[in-house]
Amino acid sequence: MTVVITAGFLIRIPHIPILEESARNLFLHVPMWFTMMIAFTMAFYFSIRFLNDEQMEWDRKAETATMVGLVFGICGLLTGSLWARFTWGTWWTFAEPRMNLSALAMLIFVAYFILRSAFNDPVKRAKISAVYNIFGITTIPFLLYIIPRQLPSLHPGAEGNPAFSDLTAPELRIIFYPAVIGFIGLAVWMMDILNRYKAVKYRLEIEQI
Amino acid sequence: MMTDFTQEPNQSGVDTLTQSYQDQWGALDQIEEASAFVQMMASNDLIFVVLGVSLIIWLVLLFFLVRVDRKVSRLEEMVDGSEPANQQENQKDNSNPEEAIR
Repeated sequence: MTVVITAGFLIRIPHIPILEESARNLFLHVPMWFTMMIAFTMAFYFSIRFLNDEQMEWDRKAETATMVGLVFGICGLLTGSLWARFTWGTWWTFAEPRMNLSALAMLIFVAYFILRSAFNDPVKRAKISAVYNIFGITTIPFLLYIIPRQLPSLHPGAEGNPAFSDLTAPELRIIFYPAVIGFIGLAVWMMDILNRYKAVKYRLEIEQI
Repeated sequence: MMTDFTQEPNQSGVDTLTQSYQDQWGALDQIEEASAFVQMMASNDLIFVVLGVSLIIWLVLLFFLVRVDRKVSRLEEMVDGSEPANQQENQKDNSNPEEAIR
């Protein structure tokens, strides 16, 4: 996995003088959203598993997956904002549906962690946040994919076709796909570290009681 | 210079945004009036934008790592307080975030 990430970074720099300017951001900005999507899908799966058999392990995994997804989503928002400043000429525009709806999606998941912190009883917290998470994640495809494609927008892909069509050169894909895989691998690794940390902490807490 | 990023004018009749933002896409036209920071970023074919984007990602990931590191140290204190049996597990957890940097 680390090899994949390293390779992604090494290939990225020498290969690019295809499209000058900031087209290289494609390797950084777009995988953020792909990774966020994968992480939230995993969180969705873990939340369903938790409601199914109520093992605390699934609750921990759902929480970490949501957290990592949120980290990548915030990365995507910040990089998108910076990129927009130099292509659209503004840090933030409220007329751009994709930008605002993705910010809204991030707020949904910030609310998830606020909701979690509101409960002291772990089982109750796990149940309610699992339900909230399933509910929240079902809104994501609508917020990020369906509505922005229906509305006119500056963001590539606004007219119903994916962003890869005419704005980008085919050579970019050679570096783009390893970058996506690399970032997803990084996210899975981050989740793994957090999950192990939480498992050890959970065991310690049980022993102390 | 920016034409690679401009979209075709929207064909659908309901579109009002493309027209109102068409001039905004030419962000570099008004670059002379902008601040020194923006001018610097816009030089060299916008390569500094790529630098900024990768820096943002790096800083967010670094922030994440620091947080995990702090959590693990708190866990270490807990382990030291109780028994040494769990220490091995804990060290395994701790070594990972540091390896990630290298």
